[in-house]
Amino acid sequence: MPYLGSEDVVKELKKALCNPHIQADRLRYRNVIQRVIRYMTQGLDMSGVFMEMVKASATVDIVQKKLVYLYMCTYAPLKPDLALLAINTLCKDCSDPNPMVRGLALRSMCSLRMPGVQEYIQQPILNGLRDKASYVRRVAVLGCAKMHNLHGDSEVDGALVNELYSLLRDQDPIVVVNCLRSLEEILKQEGGIVINKPIAHHLLNRMSKLDQWGQAEVLNFLLRYQPRSEEELFDILNLLDSFLKSGSPGVVMGATKLFLILAKKFPHVQTDVLVRVKGPLLAACSSESRELCFVALCHVRQILHSLPGHFSSHYKKFFCSYSEPHYIKLQKVEVLCELVNDENVQQVLEELRGYCTDVSADFAQAAIFAIGSIARTYTDQCVQILTELLGLRQEHITTVVVQTFRDLVWLCPQCTEAVCQALPGCEENIQDSEGKQALIWLLGVHGERIPNAPYVLEDFVENVKSETFPAVKMELLTALLRLFLSRPAECQDMLGRLLYYCIEEEKDMAVRDRGLFYYRLLLVGIDEVKRILCSPKSDPTLGLLEDPAERPVNSWASDFNTLVPVYGKSRWATISKCHGAERCGPELPKTSSFAASGPLIPEENKERVQEVPDSGALMLVPNLQLTADYFEKTWLSLKVAHQQVLPWQGEFHPDTLQMALQVVNIQTIAMSRAGARPWKAYLSAQDDTGCLFLTELLWKPENSEMQISVKQNETRTETLKSFISVLETVIGTIEEIKS
Amino acid sequence: MKMIHSLFLINCSGDIFLEKHWKSVVSQSVCDYFFEAQEKAADVENVPPVISTPHHYLISIYRDKLFFVSVIQTEVPPLFVIEFLHRVADTFQDYFGECSEAAIKDNVVIVYELLEEMLDNGFPLATESNILKELIKPPTILRSVVNSITGSSNVGDTLPTGQLSNIPWRRAGVKYTNNEAYFDVIEEIDAIIDKSGSTVFAEIQGVIDACIKLSGMPDLSLSFMNPRLLDDVSFHPCIRFKRWESERVLSFIPPDGNFRLISYRVSSQNLVAIPVYVKHSISFKENSSCGRFDITIGPKQNMGKTIEGITVTVHMPKVVLNMNLTPTQGSYTFDPVTKVLTWDVGKITPQKLPSLKGLVNLQSGAPKPEENPSLNIQFKIQQLAISGLKVNRLDMYGEKYKPFKGVKYVTKAGKFQVRT
Repeated sequence: MPYLGSEDVVKELKKALCNPHIQADRLRYRNVIQRVIRYMTQGLDMSGVFMEMVKASATVDIVQKKLVYLYMCTYAPLKPDLALLAINTLCKDCSDPNPMVRGLALRSMCSLRMPGVQEYIQQPILNGLRDKASYVRRVAVLGCAKMHNLHGDSEVDGALVNELYSLLRDQDPIVVVNCLRSLEEILKQEGGIVINKPIAHHLLNRMSKLDQWGQAEVLNFLLRYQPRSEEELFDILNLLDSFLKSGSPGVVMGATKLFLILAKKFPHVQTDVLVRVKGPLLAACSSESRELCFVALCHVRQILHSLPGHFSSHYKKFFCSYSEPHYIKLQKVEVLCELVNDENVQQVLEELRGYCTDVSADFAQAAIFAIGSIARTYTDQCVQILTELLGLRQEHITTVVVQTFRDLVWLCPQCTEAVCQALPGCEENIQDSEGKQALIWLLGVHGERIPNAPYVLEDFVENVKSETFPAVKMELLTALLRLFLSRPAECQDMLGRLLYYCIEEEKDMAVRDRGLFYYRLLLVGIDEVKRILCSPKSDPTLGLLEDPAERPVNSWASDFNTLVPVYGKSRWATISKCHGAERCGPELPKTSSFAASGPLIPEENKERVQEVPDSGALMLVPNLQLTADYFEKTWLSLKVAHQQVLPWQGEFHPDTLQMALQVVNIQTIAMSRAGARPWKAYLSAQDDTGCLFLTELLWKPENSEMQISVKQNETRTETLKSFISVLETVIGTIEEIKS
Repeated sequence: MKMIHSLFLINCSGDIFLEKHWKSVVSQSVCDYFFEAQEKAADVENVPPVISTPHHYLISIYRDKLFFVSVIQTEVPPLFVIEFLHRVADTFQDYFGECSEAAIKDNVVIVYELLEEMLDNGFPLATESNILKELIKPPTILRSVVNSITGSSNVGDTLPTGQLSNIPWRRAGVKYTNNEAYFDVIEEIDAIIDKSGSTVFAEIQGVIDACIKLSGMPDLSLSFMNPRLLDDVSFHPCIRFKRWESERVLSFIPPDGNFRLISYRVSSQNLVAIPVYVKHSISFKENSSCGRFDITIGPKQNMGKTIEGITVTVHMPKVVLNMNLTPTQGSYTFDPVTKVLTWDVGKITPQKLPSLKGLVNLQSGAPKPEENPSLNIQFKIQQLAISGLKVNRLDMYGEKYKPFKGVKYVTKAGKFQVRT
């Protein structure tokens, strides 16, 4: 954002910086420099005085040095040739007797972000790693990562990596944590830092000496470590115990996640941990920081998916106070829905009833939807509350209540009678499309129980010309036709009028087509209309689809303390997909379409394929979910355990293969699009003992063969053999089907 | 690899007034996604703390009318980032006395110095206030006068000694002429009281803040008369957890200066005393443009202590145009734009209970409000921890001198809400 007149300012500052009188007066000199910095932070282009600022860096005054370094880091990428001049001073400062100057100079030098600086910083960094002041070592260790990035992520300097690994034993805790951070970045291509047993135990023992940020990060790194024995596992859990009581919610959550992951084969330990973090988590839910509350609430919901009763006795904790921001209130309402039980349902409903008249329409509607979802279990009480709400005759309330009614009669047919009695009169208070559609649907499907249903629909038919939403017109057509079937005398005339309007005057093609369709259907005969339109009026089994049974803790443990609970898994998948697309290296082909549009396996063959899992001692776990990132990392870190070539003639249908593999619980992580040459696919599977099988299929049409490479995270030849035989059978079967 | 890539400070009117980048520069345009969310939220209070954009995640906190928006490029533990941002805001508060746009702009150079020390390459480094203060001295009026005369700096010339100590939270070689250790037991009552005066929900959130100025390496242990009162306790890293588990004694080598020793919760299972009651009658007549408002506050379960610093805030319904009230004590204001009524009561004298009554003018013709407003109450009770928590004794080992010791108790209202 160039300010007007910035050139004048630069000119004036330049003059001041060159003025020998000012230079002689330390204070005045520093003030001018401060002005430069001030303008810089306001977005003014101050690169014009670079030369003068470099000169100003040769000083004993630390403040002045700091300011000039700050300036140089900002403008060095713009003036690389001039910045080389500054490097001289910086190099000299790197061997200053004052450790603070050394650290400062080294940090600035590593942050210059300009090409060609690497050769100058290498030696100072190496010296810094062996500096006696921990302040300098901290800077130097992170400097290694910065230097690596400047090299353009190419080759990894083995000697430097070894030095960093040995600095993990440094006596300064921050140096240790910085080493982890730095190694992680340098070894990014190889899947990050490897945490072996000695390192894991060393870190665990240093944990109590770290600050909260260090603790949180180390806990995250430890997730990669797999204890060798049960005994070791429980030793580690004992060491971690006190961090569940840390004052920092970040550390508590990090420790909880590590517990959950380490104890993945001990469900009772997992439950026990979740009981113990209940307190800290609830405390975070009422923290002073609303942002912390929000994230903690998201995690509470996550836990409730697996342990529905977990927070029920604390339900009052989730009552909203009116001064809270919306995003917290909405989360709390969701939590309340999920922890309702026989004891608290009365109180929770009363509380939610209170929110329904909140000033904020969004919040009020969320509360009504919440009551609607509780109604699936506690139907009578909820329907009564909802009916009372209709009495308020508020538009934003009525529309949502009618929508919940529609969903409710579908899932809980026993409440139909009550809903039908409540409906008359609602039409006066509904203006929006969603609400109208719901009301019209209810009138159409259950019209025989609502005395004035035809007259309400008649009003809609009268005003159809001024109706703005095509969806409402569609709904009206269907509803009126349905009602016509049960109450023909009252509806025949207006149905005729509506059909006439839709066919002759309506401009929306979809509505017109629907009108024509019904018209022709009626011509075929009333029995045909009945057969097509009178589908079931309710289907309680759908409710099961909507709220799946309790999910095992292991299904979300790896998402705990990440952004997934904030976004929800499905949304998160789409978000991270577009992030992934950018970062994803060339190793993996882009995930091609997963849509099951391909041909299904013919019935007779399907049976044969399904027999396969029983053929060996191997049991593959269904629904293994690996992210592409994780797969990539693991793939790169393992060696090929088995490689073989299978014959493969002629054309190829990736979709068929994918389906067949799915049947035997081998998941496709990614594959080339159909027709690509050579064609590649990456598969993953896991057996019941937790052993992962990662597979690459490489089809080269010119040699008519398929190359299979399998990697395994634990070396076990027996299971590997059975896995390969499963894979061979599947591919063999597909080959047969094709020919 | 998780780190804070960049930080933007944004004020309520949507100006980005400060930005800092730790790796490469991220264009300001990334904040457009934030502004979009802000617009959608209508009220600044309601901007969601986590926003995803096509290339970044924005995690923000809202403090003192400012947004601290951090730009993140990879998956992170969200609590970690939020806690860190709060720490940054706390540090500004600590350095400049307030965390406001003006203060930050006035001290922009120090702000940059602080951010530079607190994060390197996007990773948190020095965040303990006493260590930071040795690296960068806070500005004081006196010091800036002195600086301008002597030309001395606001930057420490020597390396902070804390950086050399093996206990990361305490610097080595601390010396005081007066050795003192003070503890503040501060309890806040969060409560929701329903129309009839019964408690819907109540809980005590307590903290013990310490101010320790002791020479050398003192090893302290603090014990309570009734430690079992504490339900959920979170500890400062300095506390030896095993000792607490086995003996219910807080044993620790303290950081130097001010810090939070523990925070705890006393939840509803142990009966939470409610120190005040409110008698209220708020009514709006159907088809009329006025209503009545009458509230009285009285003491209840206050353990014989004076309740002071009482303030009542009420968000009146939108149809309220104005209020004509008479307080028996204190003063009140009503803001017709935000519809917020604030009554600054002062303290309660049991002989004459404070009350506020009068008429409410409503917009004529508008339907009467569905719901009565909630009353938000603030108060303070000195020399009392409402949970009954009492410190028994403080012992010091490892040093020979005799320190001054002191404990203060105070109870305050947290989110204390009375529904009418």
